[in-house]
Amino acid sequence: MPSASQPPKFSLKLISWFCKDELVEELQGDLEEYYSDSKKNTFKGLKYWYQVFNYLRPSTLKSFKNSNARPMFIFNPILTLRNLYRQLSTSLISLFGFTMGLVATIFLYFYIYSEVNTDRFHEDANQIYRVLRVSEMNGTPYRIGVTSVPYANALLTDYPSDVTATTRAVPENGLVAVGEKRFMEDDLLFADENFFEFFSYPLASGNKQSVLATANSAVLTQEAARKYFGDENPIGKIIEVDNAYEFIVSGVMADIPGHSHLDFSMVLSIDLLESFDWFNGWWNNSLNTYVKVPTLAQANNLDGKLDQFMEKYMGKDFEKSGSKIGLELEPLVDIYFNNETRYDFARHGSFASSLTLGAVAIAILFIACFNYVNLSIAQSFMRAKEVGVRKVLGGSKSRLILQFLSESMMILFFSILISIGICELLTPTFNSFFGLEVTLNWMDSNVLTFFLSLVIVILLSSGVYPAVLLSSFKSVSILKGSKLTSGKNVGLRKALVVTQFAISIFLIVSSMLISVQTNYLNSKDLGFDKEAIVLVDLDNSEIRTQRDQFKDRLLVNSNVQGVTMVSGEPGGFHDASSFIVTGVSETHRMRTLFTDIEFFNVLGIDIIAGRNFSSELSSDEEFTMILNERSVLELGLDPEEVIGRKVSMPGWDIQDVPVIGVASDYHFSTLKDEIEPLAILTGGFHRRLAIKINMANMKDGLLFIDKTFEELAPGFPMSYEFLDDSLSDLYEREQQQAKVFSAFSALSIFLACLGIFGLAAYASQQRQKELGIRKVLGATAQQIISLISREFVWLVLVASCIAIPVVWYFMQKWLGGYAYRIEVIDHWYVFAIGGMTTVLIALITVSVKTYRAAISDPTESIRNE
Amino acid sequence: MKGTNLGEFEELLLLVVLILQEEAYMLRIKDEIKNQVNRSISMGALHTTLSRLEQKDFLKSEMGGATKERGGRRKRIYELTADGKSALNDVKKLRANLWNQVPSFELKFSNA
Repeated sequence: MPSASQPPKFSLKLISWFCKDELVEELQGDLEEYYSDSKKNTFKGLKYWYQVFNYLRPSTLKSFKNSNARPMFIFNPILTLRNLYRQLSTSLISLFGFTMGLVATIFLYFYIYSEVNTDRFHEDANQIYRVLRVSEMNGTPYRIGVTSVPYANALLTDYPSDVTATTRAVPENGLVAVGEKRFMEDDLLFADENFFEFFSYPLASGNKQSVLATANSAVLTQEAARKYFGDENPIGKIIEVDNAYEFIVSGVMADIPGHSHLDFSMVLSIDLLESFDWFNGWWNNSLNTYVKVPTLAQANNLDGKLDQFMEKYMGKDFEKSGSKIGLELEPLVDIYFNNETRYDFARHGSFASSLTLGAVAIAILFIACFNYVNLSIAQSFMRAKEVGVRKVLGGSKSRLILQFLSESMMILFFSILISIGICELLTPTFNSFFGLEVTLNWMDSNVLTFFLSLVIVILLSSGVYPAVLLSSFKSVSILKGSKLTSGKNVGLRKALVVTQFAISIFLIVSSMLISVQTNYLNSKDLGFDKEAIVLVDLDNSEIRTQRDQFKDRLLVNSNVQGVTMVSGEPGGFHDASSFIVTGVSETHRMRTLFTDIEFFNVLGIDIIAGRNFSSELSSDEEFTMILNERSVLELGLDPEEVIGRKVSMPGWDIQDVPVIGVASDYHFSTLKDEIEPLAILTGGFHRRLAIKINMANMKDGLLFIDKTFEELAPGFPMSYEFLDDSLSDLYEREQQQAKVFSAFSALSIFLACLGIFGLAAYASQQRQKELGIRKVLGATAQQIISLISREFVWLVLVASCIAIPVVWYFMQKWLGGYAYRIEVIDHWYVFAIGGMTTVLIALITVSVKTYRAAISDPTESIRNE
Repeated sequence: MKGTNLGEFEELLLLVVLILQEEAYMLRIKDEIKNQVNRSISMGALHTTLSRLEQKDFLKSEMGGATKERGGRRKRIYELTADGKSALNDVKKLRANLWNQVPSFELKFSNA
């Protein structure tokens, strides 16, 4: 309600919109005075509005009678299309640029959107936490993803007011048999009965309360159901796991509405596992424990009490092993991006790389926008006359701005249509090329908001300036024929070109440096032989119990040059444990590797002190130890000193293991991390077999291994990989990044070149007469080309000067994430190559366009005036 | 041109403007007509007539003092031009002339 003496604001607005400008003051004054004078009664407002509308009459209204203006300047698609068609090449360049930029942006938007929203589809996403254990390795704490079975119930009974529900998920691999078909699956999940109530994975059939209620129930994902049963209804069908356990399909999941940190093909009832004796131990950490805590305050409160909890249940063990383990709650929605967590089977993504990709997409979009701005400004000279005539015919500035904006809008509109089409068509290709899983889901309010704001941003950044510039030409001076000068715009144009090329150079150089680093990671000497080694999983109990026979039988074949059993191959799993060394007062944490006597021979690792494991000595077969250099350093001893000492591992109940040698450091984990202390023991538990084969007869060797495996573990398919492949898989993300970056840098340089191509075209057109006269006076074609190209080459050089320090800075930061990395300074030539390539490409682009101007007949250009 | 003929309402307005002198702006004119002649005229209608009179050069106007009730906006103050005054005089004379020719008994009759 407006106050008594203030008339409704809208009424005054109405007057100012519709009445003649010179009358507005008195009319508004009259109304306001009338309003404040009139007596208060029920009809006051009504009477007032009667007066207001009475003022809107022919004698007071603004004149809209300029009849030429209306048809010419209202949004007229045909006119706009004609204008775009008249400058077909620039329109196409703009259209193409916008389309490419939009495709990149749309695709990456969907990618980043799904990454960031991983696990947010769960109804109680904000109340769910995963329980993490916190350990430390020589001073630096690290988080461990897996916990053991008893945590869930203990938490639920100890903190009933905070924890409302818990659930557990155990990842397993196994042989799945459906009728005659057999599949080796590594993404089985055993879970508690309430799994589907706890999380919000949707079920297509089955009831979420009861679907896992019976001991042998199994819930399949859509893909698994299709893979095992085709189009048949899988409910009630039997699947057999590891040739021993039968499960009955009790439900099928619907498509998951988003990504999840858990990746599984089926969920099986956890009841089966309860029969195994490892199941109830506090130290058998092999599963994820999740808790539901209703509020953040409660979660923080609970987090503080978890140390007591650990003390209560594991205090004695801590005393024995001399090291403590803490407990933490990790919010469900953070799991996906927390890729520092160790021993974690969850899927992870990198937030930093999402951000980087977003920035790259925006950069590409800006290059496209700048192209449009630049070309429009360059064109403005040709359209000056048009603007002049329109103004003379009564077009106001705002109408002209609207007209030019409508042209940008039209281009943008077409680009959006085309890019949506391209995205729809090419998403599978993009996905397989970049190794991503992007689904396009247009009908989402967030997506629509994003598109709307994207369009507005593009329109503001590319359409407004040219429109304002064009419409501000003075009609009189244009029509009199005086030459337009645009000093300011030339500066802006140059700045935009420099920015475009700076972005391109940035992307080119960084993609080159990323691949140099990736090559370095893949080719660095790791301290062992990675060639010709086949890793065979000991992934079922049959082969595990017969692993010694397996080994012996393999060694008979001439194609097998050596076999060793490992608990984890280089680049793979190496557990950490506490070590007490005689004569050293502190307890040390080290990584452990359980293997056998042949390990160092097969992998070709040097022993620098003491001796290697020996097959002559039967005492070497179980629990003798060789340390790596780094661990000796950590212990504060000389390699010679440590030989003969006894080591105890309280966590494993292993006492008095003699140290017999020191091995040279080799990279047993990724090159992102420094080499850690490592103890290599004979005996213990083995997960894989590393077999060195004769590469000349690789096929025979593999066939022999497979045959032997089949004989020992009939019905189980053998899964194997080459060590060098599994090592290069460690750097998959880097390879992917290098790919993405090189694709985008190619796109960016292409777009930037399209832009200068257009600019060069205008420059040569505008300077046609000048060039003609220069030719008549004896200039050669080269001189003319260099005359026009020089300017652009300068711009690209300036761009390199700006881009190089920025790349330097960012690449230093990126490389900082790798313990073993290239030195940027050693690769200065990459910068030179990047810069020179860009200059060269720009030069070629411009020359191609100016060549025509340079060889054209001067009489053509000078003749007409 | 519509000529210099004054309509009835126009004549009324000119007279009111003349009476109000330097107070002759929209709201006072409206009030005066309401009080003296008991006719409610909307400001819009008044504005139209006043600007027509201005076009005919019977009125001139200028922007005058701003007051608080008007939100600090100035008002347009009307004033008769020499043409306006003579037009009024003409009308008055014309009427008087006509009046004089009316037989006196007719008037008495209607007054009764």
